[in-house]
Amino acid sequence: MSLTLRIALIVGSLIAVVIVARGVRKEHIRISESVFWILSALLLLLLAVFPQIAFWCSSMLGFLSPSNFVFVTVIFLLLVKLFGLSCDVSRLSYKVDQLTQEQALETRQKKDGTAAASGMTSLK
Amino acid sequence: MRILAIIPAYNEEDCIEQTVRSLVAACPNIDYLVINDGSSDNTGAICRKKHLRHVSLPVNSGLTAAFQTGMKYAERHGYDAAVQFDADGQHLPEYIPAMAQKMKEDKANIVIASRILAGEKLAGSRAVGSKLIAALIRLTSRTHISDPTSGMRMFDRKLIHRYARSFDLAPEPDAIALFAREGMRVAEVPAKMLDRQGGVSYLGFTSSIRYMLRTCFSILLFQWFR
Repeated sequence: MSLTLRIALIVGSLIAVVIVARGVRKEHIRISESVFWILSALLLLLLAVFPQIAFWCSSMLGFLSPSNFVFVTVIFLLLVKLFGLSCDVSRLSYKVDQLTQEQALETRQKKDGTAAASGMTSLK
Repeated sequence: MRILAIIPAYNEEDCIEQTVRSLVAACPNIDYLVINDGSSDNTGAICRKKHLRHVSLPVNSGLTAAFQTGMKYAERHGYDAAVQFDADGQHLPEYIPAMAQKMKEDKANIVIASRILAGEKLAGSRAVGSKLIAALIRLTSRTHISDPTSGMRMFDRKLIHRYARSFDLAPEPDAIALFAREGMRVAEVPAKMLDRQGGVSYLGFTSSIRYMLRTCFSILLFQWFR
């Protein structure tokens, strides 16, 4: 793992923490969501400060170079996060559908109520 | 002092009726609002049939959103204080007047019903978590809170407005830490609590870990940016 990569990782993870903190302050992200990003940044920082971890893991798993191990770690993290986001999007769109339907049916019910009270009926 | 008890309920068909009945019996002067958080069981049907004062969220939205619904209701109807009250029968309504009394006497913004002050000992991982959170709050806010994880808390008008408008404010210990650091007054009264009277806790193993991570990060790190 080259010194350049280590410095880039350190600077990158520090910038990441700043960006996440700004996001929380400006109410762009909720704290529960930002925990993942902080933990990832800390993991990269750990790998940069103690490259021995990357060396040990890459030799255990048979990687050609420790930097490859770092890249694979990052890709893995991103895939996990991406899948999580996919799940969130599915759940959210389900909820929006439910809310839309609920709202529309509620409005219809109110109209039916006032129509019945005033003796008006819909087109038969 | 007009007080609203906010009772978030997610799949609490076993005990919601009993909880409301004992609340009304013990505190006839206190209003309550059940927030049925998109339950998939009969919680909503029970609320309708038994004429409990309630709102039903059409989709499950989580404790924070359910509680915020209650705070918005409290804000719109001009309540002086709102108390967070569990649907599962853990909390004893007899302590609500004492909490209100304490709020008045101490001019407190938050009053927590503390199991520790009542001589109770938390057991196992809950005790560890609670002690850790209390230590973090002491460290960052210089405020001693004996039972930060108690779910029975009373908030004054100022905090009702705050919760009603918040983007990311949970009815959890990290918010207490934030308020304490901002100079709000936190008071505690001794209060016994029961074991849950039915249903299952929403805190499993992974969600406990997530809860602790969120709470610790929030108190240690994000508090300074909010």
